[in-house]
Amino acid sequence: MRFSYNFLQSFFNEKIPPAEKLEELLMMHFFKVEDVEKNGGDTVLDIDILSSRAGDCLSHVGVAREIAAITGIKLKNTEIKFKENGEDINDKLMLNVKAACSRYMLKGINDVKIGESPQYIQKILKVCGINPINNIVDIANYVMLETGQPLHVFDSDKLEGEKIFVRYAKKREKIVTLDEKRYELQENILVISDEVSSVGIAGIKGGIVAEVDKNTKNIYLEAANFDPVTIRRGSYELKIRTEASLRFEHGISAELAEIAINKASFMISEIAKGSVMKGIIDYYPEKEEERNINFNINDVRKVLGEDVALKETEKILRSLGFKVQRNKGSFSTTVPYFRTDVLIKEDIIEEIGRIYGYDKIESQDPIKNIVPAEQSKGFLVANTAKDIWQSFGFYESYNYSFINEEVSLKFEKKKLIEMEKPVSLEFKYLRPSLIPGLLKNLLENKKNYEKINLFEIGSIFHKSEAGTKEEKMLSIISSANDFYQLKGKLNLFFQQMSIPNISYQQKGEKELFNKKRSAKIFAGKEDIGFIGEISEEVKKEMKLKENIVIAEINFERVIDMYKEIKEYEPILKFPALVRDLAVLVPKRTFYKDVFEKIKKEGGTLLKEVSLFDFYEGKEVPEGMKSFAFRLVFQAKNKTLSSEEINLVFEKIINTLEEVSEYKVRK
Amino acid sequence: MTIEEVSSIKERFLKELEKEKDSEKKKKICKKFIEEDLSSVFCLIKNLKGGKRVLIGKETNDLRKLILGKMEQLKEKQKSTEEFLDVTFPVVATERGNIHPLTKLQKRCETIFSKMGFVVADGPELENEWYNFDALNFKADHPVREMQDTLFVRQKERNNLSSKEKLLMRTHTSPVQVRYMEKRKPPFRIIVPGRVFRNEATDSSHEINFYQLEGLMVGENVSVANFKAVIGFFFRELFEANVDIRLRPSYFPFTEPSFEVDVSCSICNKKGCSVCQKTGWIEIMGAGMVHPNVLESAKVDHEKFNGFAFGCGLDRIAMIEHKIDDIRLFYGGDIRFLKQF
Repeated sequence: MRFSYNFLQSFFNEKIPPAEKLEELLMMHFFKVEDVEKNGGDTVLDIDILSSRAGDCLSHVGVAREIAAITGIKLKNTEIKFKENGEDINDKLMLNVKAACSRYMLKGINDVKIGESPQYIQKILKVCGINPINNIVDIANYVMLETGQPLHVFDSDKLEGEKIFVRYAKKREKIVTLDEKRYELQENILVISDEVSSVGIAGIKGGIVAEVDKNTKNIYLEAANFDPVTIRRGSYELKIRTEASLRFEHGISAELAEIAINKASFMISEIAKGSVMKGIIDYYPEKEEERNINFNINDVRKVLGEDVALKETEKILRSLGFKVQRNKGSFSTTVPYFRTDVLIKEDIIEEIGRIYGYDKIESQDPIKNIVPAEQSKGFLVANTAKDIWQSFGFYESYNYSFINEEVSLKFEKKKLIEMEKPVSLEFKYLRPSLIPGLLKNLLENKKNYEKINLFEIGSIFHKSEAGTKEEKMLSIISSANDFYQLKGKLNLFFQQMSIPNISYQQKGEKELFNKKRSAKIFAGKEDIGFIGEISEEVKKEMKLKENIVIAEINFERVIDMYKEIKEYEPILKFPALVRDLAVLVPKRTFYKDVFEKIKKEGGTLLKEVSLFDFYEGKEVPEGMKSFAFRLVFQAKNKTLSSEEINLVFEKIINTLEEVSEYKVRK
Repeated sequence: MTIEEVSSIKERFLKELEKEKDSEKKKKICKKFIEEDLSSVFCLIKNLKGGKRVLIGKETNDLRKLILGKMEQLKEKQKSTEEFLDVTFPVVATERGNIHPLTKLQKRCETIFSKMGFVVADGPELENEWYNFDALNFKADHPVREMQDTLFVRQKERNNLSSKEKLLMRTHTSPVQVRYMEKRKPPFRIIVPGRVFRNEATDSSHEINFYQLEGLMVGENVSVANFKAVIGFFFRELFEANVDIRLRPSYFPFTEPSFEVDVSCSICNKKGCSVCQKTGWIEIMGAGMVHPNVLESAKVDHEKFNGFAFGCGLDRIAMIEHKIDDIRLFYGGDIRFLKQF
C-alpha cells in the first residue's frame, strides 16, 4: 500500500525520521518498503503490508503506531467533537441485517454543502492513488486511508422507503455501480438495499442509484463490518477489486466502525458544514471480546534465545497499544482491539522480538545433544545412481512433471491424473512416465549433437486402486548405444548398486517399442523395468533415422534393494583350470538357455562361465549360430586334477548334445 | 708404457670434450679416443708383463668405460632433443556426462547441513490439502487456498471431499515437516530438498515446477539465536564467503515469529550491484519459529518442544551462483547447458 509521509507525520507533534531512514527502520522492524518516491511536496512509501497485518495496517494510523513503537516518538492525541441536531436517525430509518455482517452502522447528516475538498485532503488522496471526487466522498476515502475502515455514503433522498436491508442478492438481481457498469448478481453476493432495489454491493462497490452528486443535500454515512470470505469470493466472482473490498476481505476489527464513523461525521460537519443527526443506527449483536494473553519472560527467552529486559519488554508492548500488568517476570496483557492477528503467546513474543530488533539477538550455536534424525534412503541412493550414469557418459536432465493432451494419447487415459485449470495446456496431465520428456530432450539436442545420452530420476503419477500413486523412476535414453550396449551398462549399474539376479525376458508389449528388440528386466522374480529400441513407426513419426534405445527402471524398488555395504567373497587360494567349449545352436536359441544348462551341469566346481566369442553367418551352417564359452573350474579346498575336470566337462558336453539341434564343436 | 701416459690421455680427453660445444663433434672426439688413442695403448699393453700389465690394463679399461659412458649420455641427450610431442594437438574426448546443476546444489546443501547433524527427509509431490494447508495452520478460508497459483488435481465432486482427500501439487516442501514429525519423536534436525509447484505462467524467473530446500530443527529450547547460528554457517559455507545474514519481520501462517532472511551480497560485498539490486543484500529465505498449531498437527508436545523452520528456492540460489538468467534452462534438458556445470 502507498503511504503518504506527510500524512504519517501528521500523527506526531515531534518530527519523525526522514523517509530514507524510515524505510530502513520499517524494513527491519515492520515490513519491507518496496519503494520510496518523491511526489510533489510529499514522499510516498510503498509498504508491503502482509496479510497478518492487513487488519490494522492498511491504514496510516496503523503504520504511525508502528513508527511510534520503533522510534519511541509519541503519537499525539486528537479530539473528535461535533454537535448533533434534534432529529434522530432511528425515527426515520429501520435496519434489517439478514446475513454475513457482524456490525452495521449508519449516521445521518443533513444539509451538506457539496464542493471540492480542501487541498490537503486532495493531495493525500492523489498520493495514495485515489481520485478526488467531491468533499463528501473524499472525506470517506480520507478516513479510510487514516483508519483502515471502508466507509460508504448514500444520498438519503434517493433511497426508497424507510428500511435498509443487508441481504444476499436475489437470483439474477441487477445493479449498476458508481462507475456505471452493469452487473447481474447471484445469490452469494451480499448487497445493501432499500425497499425497492439494491443500492450497493456490500463492501465492494456502491450503486449509482444512491450516488452522492452535486445536488445532494442529505446523506447516510455507512460503516460496517462484512464477512471477509463473502466479500473475497464476491469480489473474485465479479472481478471488482476496490480499496474497500481489499480491507474487508482480510478482516478488520468491528470496533473500528465506530471510530471511523465518528471521525467522518466530524470532518463532514466541519468541512461540508453538514448538520449531524442525533443518534446512530448500530447493529452489533456480538461485541468483540477483549483478549487477554499471559506469558512469562522465560517464554520470551526460550523462543528468542535472548534476554530482553523486563522494563523494555513492558515498554515495547505498551507502545504497540497493549495493556500490560507485570508481576516480576509474569506479564498479563490485553490485546488492543485493532490487533486481530494477536491470538497466542507466540504472537506477543514476535512483537517483542521485532521491535527489540532481530539484529540485536546474538547468534548462538545449538549445543544440545545431537540426536541424528532418521535419514531418507532415497536421496543417498539417487545420488549414487546419478554418479554411475554420469560415469557412463550420460547427462542428467530435469523435465516438467506434466504432459500435454497430444502426449497423453500415447497412454491409457483413465489412468492419467488431470490438473484443474492449469495455466497452460502443456501442463494438463501429470506425467505417467519420464520417457516423453526425455524423447523431447533428445529431439531438441539433435540440432546440436549427433550422439545423445540422457537420464532422469523423477516422480511419475497415475491413478490406482487406492486413488493415486506417485513413484520415483529412473529413465535412460540414448542414440549412442544399441540394445546390447545399454543392457551392458544397466548390468554394470545393477552390479554397483548391489542388486543381484538381474535377468531379461523378451516381451515387447509397450507400443512405443520394437517388439523384438525390447525386454522386461527382472530382479529375481520381480519386474523392475524394461529396455527397448523404439519401433520403426515411432521413428518415422518422430522423423528419426538413428536407433534410439530407452530403459525405464522403477527406482522405488532400486532404493529398497540397494545395499551400500557389500559382502566380501574370499579369494580362492587353489589354482583354476580353464576349458573352452564351442556350441552350434539354432539361430532362435536364447543364450540364457544354453548358459543355464552348462551352469547346472557344472555344479559347484564350475566357478565361472563366460561367452568369449560369437559367430553368425558365413562361418557356420545356415540357420545356426555359435557360442564359444570359457569355463573356469576352481575348488575352495584343493587343487583340481585334470581328470576331475574332464569328468565334469564330459558331462556338460553330453547334456548339451542331448538337445538334438545342438552340436558341440570338438 | 707408464700409468702416467694413460692418465695424460684421460686428461686430454676430458679437456677436449669440455672445450667442444657441439654434441655431434663431442661424439666424434669419443670415437677418436677409443679407436685411435686407446687401441694403440691396448696394443702396447700386450707387451707388458706381470703387475704392471694388470695395473695399466685396469686403468685403461676404466678410461674406456668412461668414454663409452660419455658417448651413451650424448646419444640419450640427442634422442630426447629430437623427440617431439604436439601437446596442443586437439583430441576427441569421450563424453563425460554430467549431473544436473540443481542436483549438485542439493548435494552441497546436504553436505553442509550434515556437518550440523541434519539429515535428509523426503515426501510426496502429489499432496493433499491437509498436509499442504490445514496442518500448517492455513485456516479453512485462508485466501491462499483459493489462490490461482495452487495447482489442484481435477476430482469429481471435490467440494464434498475432506481436506485429506483433496489433492494438489504441493506448493512448498513444508508439508514434509508434519509428515516427518507425526511419525517420530523429537528432537529432529532435517532438511527436505524437493520439487514444488505453482500454477503460474512461465517466464525467465517463474516456472511451474521448481526446487525448494526446507529445514526443520525441533527440540527443547531451540531459539531464534540458534537459527541465526545455523543459517549463518550454512550460507557462509554455501557461498564460500564470510557473508552476513539479517532477519526481517515477515508473515507465514506456519511460523511465529516469522522472518525473511537476507544474506549480504558476496559479489559486491554489500556495496550494491545488479545481483542485489543495489541494496547490498539478497532476499533468500523465509523462516520462523514453528507455530504451536503446526506442532499440534504433528502431535508434538508444544509446551515441551519448539523449533525453527526455513525454506528457500534452490533454483534462485543456483541462478545467482552460476549467473544463469533464465530459470527455464533447468528444465529444458539442453546438453549445451547441462555440460557446463
